[in-house]
Amino acid sequence: MSVLDRLPSGHGDRALIAGVVCLLVGALFALTPLRVQLPSAFYVFVEVGILFVIYGILVLGLDLQYGHTGLVNFGHVVFFAVGAYATAMLSAQDTFAGIGLGYPWPLGLAVGVIAAAILGAAVSLTSIRLRGDFLAIVTLATAEIFHSVFVNFEDIFGGNVGILGVPRPIAALVADGDTRLVATLLVLGGITLLTFTVVTRLTHAPYGRVLRAIRADELVTRSVGKSTITYKTQAFVYGAALAGLAGGLFALYNGAVAPGFFTIQVTVTIWIGMLLGGAANHRAVLAGLAIIMGLRLVSRFALDVTPVSSDVFASARLIVVGLILVAVIRYRPAGIWGDAQELGVDQ
Amino acid sequence: MGLLQELIFGLVTGSYIAIAAIGFTLIYGIVNMINFAYGEYLTLGAFIGFLAANALPGPLPVAVVAAMIGGGIVSIVLARGFFTPINNTGPVPMLLTSIGLGIALRNAIRLVGGRSARYFETETSTFRFDAIPDLAVGPVDLLGGVFVTSEHLIVIGSAVAVFVAIHALLTRTDVGIAMRAMGDDESLARVRGIDTQLIRDSVWVLAGVLAGLAGVLMAVQTNVSADTGFSHILQILSAAILGGAGSPYGAILGAYVIGIVLAVSTAFLPSSMTGLSSAAAFVILIAVLLVKPSGIAGTEVREA
Repeated sequence: MSVLDRLPSGHGDRALIAGVVCLLVGALFALTPLRVQLPSAFYVFVEVGILFVIYGILVLGLDLQYGHTGLVNFGHVVFFAVGAYATAMLSAQDTFAGIGLGYPWPLGLAVGVIAAAILGAAVSLTSIRLRGDFLAIVTLATAEIFHSVFVNFEDIFGGNVGILGVPRPIAALVADGDTRLVATLLVLGGITLLTFTVVTRLTHAPYGRVLRAIRADELVTRSVGKSTITYKTQAFVYGAALAGLAGGLFALYNGAVAPGFFTIQVTVTIWIGMLLGGAANHRAVLAGLAIIMGLRLVSRFALDVTPVSSDVFASARLIVVGLILVAVIRYRPAGIWGDAQELGVDQ
Repeated sequence: MGLLQELIFGLVTGSYIAIAAIGFTLIYGIVNMINFAYGEYLTLGAFIGFLAANALPGPLPVAVVAAMIGGGIVSIVLARGFFTPINNTGPVPMLLTSIGLGIALRNAIRLVGGRSARYFETETSTFRFDAIPDLAVGPVDLLGGVFVTSEHLIVIGSAVAVFVAIHALLTRTDVGIAMRAMGDDESLARVRGIDTQLIRDSVWVLAGVLAGLAGVLMAVQTNVSADTGFSHILQILSAAILGGAGSPYGAILGAYVIGIVLAVSTAFLPSSMTGLSSAAAFVILIAVLLVKPSGIAGTEVREA
């Protein structure tokens, strides 16, 4: 019996093993003098890869909300932003503008997750009963309110500059740039895989079946004695907390937060990734996100060989992204790998 | 500047938001979708008006008419291409489609029109009323001298004309009465022999015409750029929901509330935080959805 046969068969368990392996290898790079050298063409892949695994946590949380429970959260970025700002403000030292308290970063990360969860609870307590499209508007408006608060309260949030001087735990351990990037990708990728395991366990459990039942038909679910509002609130808070975790990790990787990182563009990217891959399927949403973020790579390389300005290219890419969203909803409403029957979106 | 002056600015802002909000809320009530791409319709209207004002020899009203016709055509073409085929998929897919379409349109406009803002060249005359005494309460002046420009009067006047025309349309013409019937109950309207697709198309044209007009008025007040309409879409949406989604009269009321709140909060906020005034509109929106989700005019938006 080879080692391969002994591997567990469930996606969640495989992801658990892969995640632990990633974390261990990442720790190996971070804690030992082991060094890697990246070909310079690979930099952009690793950088986009790091962003992808952070957004991966976001899309898993959103999939829990929309894909499984049917909650249309179009302001997911606000939880990402709140997690990032809370982590940054608690742990930043010598920030140029705004508040930096200089506490150890694990505390900051924990507070970031809790702050996002509390905001999620506040939003869901007030708005979870609204019809789908109006919940979308409320969450979107919440995101816009927080965006303008971050920009306008310069003394607290640092305005457009944001919070600088956030500790970077991995960068503090590894001086060498190439190794640092690889270690960051491995550690964050490992965390994303562990998140994948957790949400898979959650949605495969009877609990997840209730969530999908709510999505399919809330009235029926309520009539068999499930408190649908409680389930919806919980799913919303879990998604928000995951986004807060992603935000905290982003702040600790980036070393700074600013309103420019948390625009509606983030929400749109993860929504399109989720719908393209196929909501309610954890692997599919990650794959869909990979396709959308792969477009960034393509456009970055194409930019080098075409004589147009980067502005023009950014606009062209966004036109393509917008039309992909339109096309997916019209021609493959269940996404590429989604189950149309389960999602109830038969054409 | 005194509060009275800010109120005048609020009335002007409320006027062009009201025109746009009527179009937005008609689409909501009759096509049953939140059209997030509506801001781009305004931008297109503003660009068409700007091109017409520069290309045609006539005065500004010619450009306005061109923008209204252009807006109507754009609206029906986009609706036929993107929204009519998925009419029966429910509100969320249609909202998402409009978000995707909005991103694509906004960037297409940016691609063609460039990033810089353009300005309408208009001749304005200013009417000053300096005789009003100051009435200071704390740091805020409640009265004080005011001025009104001819542009302000044109915007407010156009809005009033639109209100009268919309009221006449909805109460005196067959098309308008059919629209209201469809907004009430689409199946019942179809049973009574109303061609629902025709009415839906006419709503799209009407909303496009209103978007063209509002776009030009907005552009005269601010500027013409790829973000002209998008920067106002949340205010338009707030106005429509505040008034009770689907109700044109509610939308008018909601728009003036939003416009005046925006202007007055600018007066009361410290100068470093005037950017927060746009957030004030969304706070109102959320508060309305929490306290009375049916809005001023009353349509149910809660499921449970």
